[in-house]
Amino acid sequence: MPAVKETIEDVRRLEADKYKYGFTTEIEQEFAPKGLSEDTVRFISEKKGEPQWMLDWRLDAYRRWVEMTEPTWANVHHPKIDYQDAYYYAAPKNASKYKSLDEVPAELLETYKKLGIPLREAEVLLGVEGAEDRTAAEAREAPRVAVDAVFDSVSVATTFKKELEKAGVIFMPISEALQQYPDLVRQYLGSVVPVTDNYFATLNSAVFSDGSFVYVPPGVRCPMELSTYFRMNAQGTGQFERTLIIADKGAYVSYLEGCTAPMRDENQLHAAVVELVALDDAQIKYSTVQNWWPGDAEGKGGVYNFVTKRADCRGKNSKVSWTQVETGSAITWKYPSCVLRGDNSQGEFYSIAVTNGRQQADTGTKMIHLGRNTKSRIIAKGISAGRSDQTYRGLVSVHAKAEGARNFTQCDSLLIGDQCGAHTVPYIEAKTPKAILEHEATTSKLSDDQLFYARSRGLDEETAVALLVNGFCREVLQELPMEFAVEAQALLKVSLEGSVG
Amino acid sequence: MGVIPQLSAFEAALAASLPAGDLRSVLESGGLPHRRVEAWKWSDLRGALARAPSGAGALTVDVSRKADQIARLDHQPDLLMPRLAAGLSDGCPVYDLQDGETLSVGFEAGEGASHHIAAVNVPAGVNAILRERYHAAPGGFANIALRIVLGEGASLTRIVEQDASPDGVLVVTTGIDLAARANMHQTTLGFGAKLARLETHVSHAGEGAQLSLGGSYLVASGLHLDQTGIVQHTGPNGATHELFKGAAAKGGRGVFQGKIHVEQAAQKTDAQMNHRGLLLADGAEIHAKPELEIYADDVVCAHGNALGAVDDEALFYMRQRGLTEPRARALLTRSFLAEPLEAIEDETVRDALLARLDAALEAVS
Repeated sequence: MPAVKETIEDVRRLEADKYKYGFTTEIEQEFAPKGLSEDTVRFISEKKGEPQWMLDWRLDAYRRWVEMTEPTWANVHHPKIDYQDAYYYAAPKNASKYKSLDEVPAELLETYKKLGIPLREAEVLLGVEGAEDRTAAEAREAPRVAVDAVFDSVSVATTFKKELEKAGVIFMPISEALQQYPDLVRQYLGSVVPVTDNYFATLNSAVFSDGSFVYVPPGVRCPMELSTYFRMNAQGTGQFERTLIIADKGAYVSYLEGCTAPMRDENQLHAAVVELVALDDAQIKYSTVQNWWPGDAEGKGGVYNFVTKRADCRGKNSKVSWTQVETGSAITWKYPSCVLRGDNSQGEFYSIAVTNGRQQADTGTKMIHLGRNTKSRIIAKGISAGRSDQTYRGLVSVHAKAEGARNFTQCDSLLIGDQCGAHTVPYIEAKTPKAILEHEATTSKLSDDQLFYARSRGLDEETAVALLVNGFCREVLQELPMEFAVEAQALLKVSLEGSVG
Repeated sequence: MGVIPQLSAFEAALAASLPAGDLRSVLESGGLPHRRVEAWKWSDLRGALARAPSGAGALTVDVSRKADQIARLDHQPDLLMPRLAAGLSDGCPVYDLQDGETLSVGFEAGEGASHHIAAVNVPAGVNAILRERYHAAPGGFANIALRIVLGEGASLTRIVEQDASPDGVLVVTTGIDLAARANMHQTTLGFGAKLARLETHVSHAGEGAQLSLGGSYLVASGLHLDQTGIVQHTGPNGATHELFKGAAAKGGRGVFQGKIHVEQAAQKTDAQMNHRGLLLADGAEIHAKPELEIYADDVVCAHGNALGAVDDEALFYMRQRGLTEPRARALLTRSFLAEPLEAIEDETVRDALLARLDAALEAVS
């Protein structure tokens, strides 16, 4: 594997520059007043020129949120979050179009460079004149990825818009969709994750700033992979994205989400909500690579990632597949789930979670079998290193009417070092004899024999560990789209920096 | 969440019977365990006792010999039910087992609520058998706590039989301490009650101790059996092997909660946990939560859990061989449930339990 050599270099680079993506771009921002109140909610809604029903929806969520208490059941520990000590809205002030790249503020360009976004793509993202046509021409030959960049809270620009329009696919910031397709948004928003679903989802419902909206019409196979780069910027700004993806009958869409965040000292709160709706025969593939700032070696700083992701396989024969590579964040609290409502619907969850340093991750999935002959498959790989703690928490529930349901779950944990923890907390509920549920879990350390073998072949310890870890995760890596598989492998290596010896 | 639960008349009376203090205030503030308490999410004790057992209960404890002493004993400080049992008992009979001894204890809970605590010591090097049998009459609620301590190199075979107790409620909480090289082999055979919970906590502190936890359950209509086992590995080189198998008939409910906790000091732990459940008909329910919590890296820990129905292919094969479907189903269910019982070394005990299982299967089918 040629990638191995990079590991050492990557790690060295990290020594000097600790976190490659840990930088803050200084551009003017427009803030909502600090703290959270009904006024904050009104401010956000007004900023976005939302219809009255949306404001009412948000206010209802806010009022309910005030009554709720923060959940404490997850196996994570952190100081109490002061919700009044954060900004709930920040938008880049200067979102207008540029005539050429020269006009684009240098800091902004630098951000894109560090993120590894090609210049041409950056041009489009920044709204440089004529860039879209040039890029579209080039893209005809190359594999295509459409990027909807969330630069802090407002989606700055959207690429490949025209291409998608031709196919009838709607892909735009949710704030724009609220203007252009209010009925569609209203029909589906909150239909998978209800306003009062949980503390953080309710908070998100009240103050969500932006996110992506995707609608794939009946029978359409989305012509390209859709992707969003979430970036948190602005000191002390929580991010509250709201993503809504609808695949109509017989549609197919693959959505990629990758995240990096700047380095900082204060903990950042991130409470996103992702809702997927798959109608009859539709298929959605949702892939995530998450490498937000995990905090320093002592666990100072880092992102609090409290996310609610849920898919509703509403139609018969629908299918949703979640794939995630979680290496970042100080604290992760995330359970991408599938409600298998339609007969013959399928849910999949493939996950790699790596924790190092002082990271804490409590992640897993829920598969709720309601329809007949529904199938679910869960493959979760957890790697704990350093002084980190990791929990797989999952629920497989088969209701009485879900005849012919089938579940297979496999959770494997790998411990590197004796200061970390790996936990498995599966919940299995069966209410029909006509279902088969299987669950397997193992916890072990890297095999000495395998390490010895690799080392006797001339690999140094770190390289050998990287090789074995990649092998351990192979089943999940295989599920990632090409664009992400490479990034994910690189991330695994970097994330385990300093865990050996 | 955040709401102070209203105590039922039964809970209030229970609290009032306790002396003022920590235990009483715990009960007053939270009541008995209910669905919102994570460890009891599938076994709603408060719900099962909604119709309060009337008056002080009559618990008949039938022991094969006299206790060696009566002591005052507290139970795990963080567990409400055994604390209540200790707090509401007059004293705790303590049995020091002799080498080769078989101690038999039968618990028969009559109408009303009763609490009891007992302790069993297995001194170093001693090899003994402990047999327990539990039954609760309709309207009866028994809350029983046991403390079992195994000395160095001691060996104990513990057999627990829980008779079907429709309309009875039973909670048995056992705390077991294993010293170095102790060897504990526990097997349960349970048939459920309106609500029955057999909860076992094992502290695996001694180096190289061996634990085998297992059992079979068969729950018929209206019966609920919860088997909860928490194993704490704190010493190195310990081994735990768990095999639980159960079947639920129409209207029956099985719950398995297992947790293996491995502390950082418990290196070289070998822990395996297995639970398999058969749902015999529509309307049966089985819930499982097999947990691992691992803080040591040089360990081998695994758990498996499978729920489903009798294998269609095996059924088909047997019917081809001329067996009727009910007969084939019964044979398959029997062989499935017998496995944990077959591991019992003592032949007499094993045969007795298998015979009880057969009788119960006959009644269900």
